[in-house]
Amino acid sequence: MGGAGAQRPGRLMRPGPLASLLWTGLRRNLAMTGAVIVTVTICLAMLGAGLLLRAQVHTIDGFLLDQIEVVVDLSDGITPAERSALEAEMRRDPLIAGVRYETKKQVYERFRRDFRGSPDVVAGVGPEDLPAALRLTLADPRASRDIVVTYTGLDGVEAVRDQRALLDPLYRFLDAFTVGAFTLAAVQALASFALIYTMIRISAHGRRRETAIMKLVGASNGTIRAPFVLESAVAGLVGGLLAAGVLVAAKVFLVDGQFARQTMFPLFGWAPVWESAVVVLAAGMLAAAVMASIALRRHLRV
Amino acid sequence: MIVLSSVSKRYPNGARPALIDVSAEIGAGEFVFLVGPSGSGKSTLLRLLLREERATSGQVIVAGRDVARIADRRVPQLRRIVGCVFQDFRLLPNRTVAANVAFALDVVGRPRHVVRSVVPEVLELVGLGEKADRYPDELSGGEQQRVAIARAFVGRPRVLLADEPTGNLDPTTSIEIMSLLDAVHRAGTTVIMATHNASLVDAMRRRVLELGDGALIRDEAGGRYDQTAPQPLQPSTSPPPSASPPGVVPAQPAGTAPAGEHSPWAAPARSGPVG
Repeated sequence: MGGAGAQRPGRLMRPGPLASLLWTGLRRNLAMTGAVIVTVTICLAMLGAGLLLRAQVHTIDGFLLDQIEVVVDLSDGITPAERSALEAEMRRDPLIAGVRYETKKQVYERFRRDFRGSPDVVAGVGPEDLPAALRLTLADPRASRDIVVTYTGLDGVEAVRDQRALLDPLYRFLDAFTVGAFTLAAVQALASFALIYTMIRISAHGRRRETAIMKLVGASNGTIRAPFVLESAVAGLVGGLLAAGVLVAAKVFLVDGQFARQTMFPLFGWAPVWESAVVVLAAGMLAAAVMASIALRRHLRV
Repeated sequence: MIVLSSVSKRYPNGARPALIDVSAEIGAGEFVFLVGPSGSGKSTLLRLLLREERATSGQVIVAGRDVARIADRRVPQLRRIVGCVFQDFRLLPNRTVAANVAFALDVVGRPRHVVRSVVPEVLELVGLGEKADRYPDELSGGEQQRVAIARAFVGRPRVLLADEPTGNLDPTTSIEIMSLLDAVHRAGTTVIMATHNASLVDAMRRRVLELGDGALIRDEAGGRYDQTAPQPLQPSTSPPPSASPPGVVPAQPAGTAPAGEHSPWAAPARSGPVG
């Protein structure tokens, strides 16, 4: 007695009959599938929002890092010798790309230029009130904190100001929202799993005649599981599409429509939106399919 | 085709074993009645052949394979060569007759042109060519069982297990189903039929395996439902092919040649005779 002859193992169902099984399953399970889609959509929209917030942080980084300098205010009593010694030391520092000296007069002029919109502020400050300064451009802008630590307190140095530190509140704000979005996404992912788990249980119950017959006539385990996994993946895909729609709408109405008029910082473009949309779609489908497979281990004995 | 050697089965919570030391050999192309009172282990035996259960001890060999040692993912292959029919038909109510039969081919991935050509043929063979588009609840019990037989046979299994296939049917319909199973047998399929229908067994006079309290108490070629005279328990091999006994509707429609190369029941997909 040889093998099963022409009936090779592991052959999968044709797409037509598989689609018909999938369709009857989705229709029978409409309310449950709808609930899964809603939670998956919220989960993925949060995931996408987190990704876009990170993209915004990067956008601001890219914009500011070119312009940010560390400013070393010099005390009024510094001698020219002390100043040139300080400058020489800075030029040897590998973290520092360039050193530029600004006299009190030049600093005052820059101040008047920066605050030309606020005459009251300018009027209250005289040419002698502001210290002369060394302006440092950094080899690695992210190393600004090390520079601050190194040069603070040296002779003739009054203060070292890191302009990037001024933006800390903004960064903290963006980071907090990113963490919040990812946390919500994780919570929603848990809720989605609970719902998919239940959906599979109900679906396995609704299909028990079909699966019993499939087993009986020798359908492979993969074939028996396929409609369930696909059902969940379709819910994930629909949720992903809706979430991608939410991201596009947020870009059009919230970012371009609102924030663009309220802030001078550059905002992320369309590329991060498309990237996030692709991530959200793929993650939605895959995660839903994997969750369904896990649930099947519990609810479908084959 | 099927070899049972010292097969015992004890269910985890069973008070007594469902099968005790059952040994028998069933050749390819045989027709065997499996009789015995309810609870004697008939269904357990059939479940072992399908690997729905594993024997507690002993060996079950189907088509040359030790059933207990088939890997889980290979079990579907076993079930493709062992068809099954039940007392309660087990049709899908939301599919037509043709779709019920096609389902068995679809889920094992047979190509569409095969499904399209084979399903009407098989429905014709079981006499339901006209009712292909009906739904199961529009059919009589006998017709539903014909659909179930068509579904089991459409994949051309080597073995057909029938678990009380006439249990829900009236005597006349039972005889029709019996002759249908006989036709399946004549097409070269090994058929094992568990039954309580004494008149069918007595009329057919085929090999009878009788179980009592899980033990094989009779193995008789050309036997009757009830043991008439004390019979020594001797394993019988292939019984002589018997003509249709009187009282039973002829297995084949009049004018049809006996099963063979030209029979419509002969499997076109197979190369060479089975077994």
